[in-house]
Amino acid sequence: MKFRIRGMSRAQMLFLIIVTMLYLLPLFKVPILVLHIMIYTLLLAYAATSWNLLGGFAGQLSLAHGAFLGIGAYLAALLFMNSNISPWITLPLAIIAGAGVAMVIGYPCFRFGLRGAYFAIASLVFNLILVEILIAWREVTGGSLGLSIRRINDPLYFQFATKEPYYWIMLTMWIIAILLIKKAKKLRYYLAAIRESEEAAAALGIPVRRYKLVAAIISGALTASAGVFYAQYFMYVNPEGTAGVEMSVELLLIALFGGKFTILGPTIGAAIIVPLSEYLRYTLGGVYAGLHRVIFSIILIVLVLFLPQGIWGKIDEKWSLEVKL
Amino acid sequence: MLMISTLMFENLINGILLGGIYIIMSLGLNLIFGVIKIVNFAHGEFLMLGMYVTYWMFTLLRFDPYLSIPIVACILGLLGMFVQRFIFNKLLVDETSQVVAAIGLMTFFQNIATLLWGSDFKSVRPSYAGTSVEVFTLRISITRLISFIIAVITAIILYFFLNRTEIGMRIRAVAQDRELAELMGINSRRVYIMTFGIGAALCGIAAALMSPIYYVFPVVGFVFAPLCFVIVVLGGLGSFIGTVVGGFILGILEAFIGFLINVELARAIAFIILLAILFWRPTGLFGER
Repeated sequence: MKFRIRGMSRAQMLFLIIVTMLYLLPLFKVPILVLHIMIYTLLLAYAATSWNLLGGFAGQLSLAHGAFLGIGAYLAALLFMNSNISPWITLPLAIIAGAGVAMVIGYPCFRFGLRGAYFAIASLVFNLILVEILIAWREVTGGSLGLSIRRINDPLYFQFATKEPYYWIMLTMWIIAILLIKKAKKLRYYLAAIRESEEAAAALGIPVRRYKLVAAIISGALTASAGVFYAQYFMYVNPEGTAGVEMSVELLLIALFGGKFTILGPTIGAAIIVPLSEYLRYTLGGVYAGLHRVIFSIILIVLVLFLPQGIWGKIDEKWSLEVKL
Repeated sequence: MLMISTLMFENLINGILLGGIYIIMSLGLNLIFGVIKIVNFAHGEFLMLGMYVTYWMFTLLRFDPYLSIPIVACILGLLGMFVQRFIFNKLLVDETSQVVAAIGLMTFFQNIATLLWGSDFKSVRPSYAGTSVEVFTLRISITRLISFIIAVITAIILYFFLNRTEIGMRIRAVAQDRELAELMGINSRRVYIMTFGIGAALCGIAAALMSPIYYVFPVVGFVFAPLCFVIVVLGGLGSFIGTVVGGFILGILEAFIGFLINVELARAIAFIILLAILFWRPTGLFGER
């Protein structure tokens, strides 16, 4: 590459070019199915990147992120359906709610020293509690049947007739998340130290509990905002699919597949897993329901046994691309 | 008034009887945790597979669910040994990998069951399933009673197995101190395989006991496995007596709140109890500090 913008590395240039191309993509006649898969990929890439901050960088394996996504989605759906509040207003509210819930859950977990499998159990249980509440509170949440959002196709209400605006919004959200994590270099190094050894990190003067909590709060807040988008894009929320453990596991799979200690790993993971799973669902879903999940759980087990750092993690290990980014 | 108290007593007894089956399943979970230090998130799926084995033996071969217990236990035991040998024994160092592998197993079993047998509810109902016995004007379902009795016998056998046999002592030695046990010439990896096999076999027994009472479907594990986590944590990780007490407490609690308010709330309360115990007394009621 001959031309260079001053102060930019080659990897940064490449990233800029790819992002520009992604923005311009809908201007060409893209089939609607491709656009849908792109949007869904970006959504899960965004949510998995948020998961990765807590689950990957901080090493606190969370099984509660389906719940955070569900909080955002249900908040948007309920406020719109009951009080006619625009989801654009719900978006910051959801971020606050996600942060608040993450703090309420995370503080006792870290205060009482739940680590490893114990933290996984506690987060899983929190997710199960939310699902039970959503099912039990039928009058408001619609129970296990879920809620369909009224369609009015008004941009002021975060509803668009075509898929393109959704695509641009999701792309922007994803870039913000990537840049945010990229810029938070100090946080990432602190979290890496905590992940390797909490005692050693504390001995070096890192406030372990505070930084774990910060990771949980940012992670929860971002995931909740993904939930608002989820509700507005699919116009339907239900307890098990949107807020359930299934979603938590999906985010975990995507992040681990790509590489849990990397910034772009979850995105790479989503870019491989989501199109593949959508393809399998369209072609074989009618005949073999659940086949794509069988394949992915096998991938997950094989991954843990033979490639624990993930695909992007392996590539990054070899050429250390992310440092140059 | 008499009516209400009769209903209450029936619920109490139902809770205790169901608690017996919970205990068998939880003992498996607790054994795996106590010895191998693995939280088996796929435990409910072993139950599910056991229930399907019972179901197919009942529909295809006309096997009585209670007579199929040894066969179900053997099949599940072998599956558990296979899983430990080829997956968990390779992940002994990294706790995160263990959790991820267990979650992978959980989704794998759930979806392979959906793929092979469909997601509809199936039931195992032998001819005597509807009958009940009457004790002091209280009606008790015969299947629940039989299941409870077998569960108690299984728990007693397990207790003596762990405390009085050589294999049981090896298992307990590894649970107490792996390195020291290895120095005494115990092959801890082989003990792990054995332990996971026993834990899965206990799930198989619980499955055979559960199938005449409940329904069989691919995500039935989600109904019972979280309750087992509550029981094990409530009683204390690694404590036999704790699990037994925890199982009865949870069975009764579930029956009462489910009867008085609703079932979802009963589950939500059980989970909140679990969180509270994890935070304030992670060793449970009977665990050692």
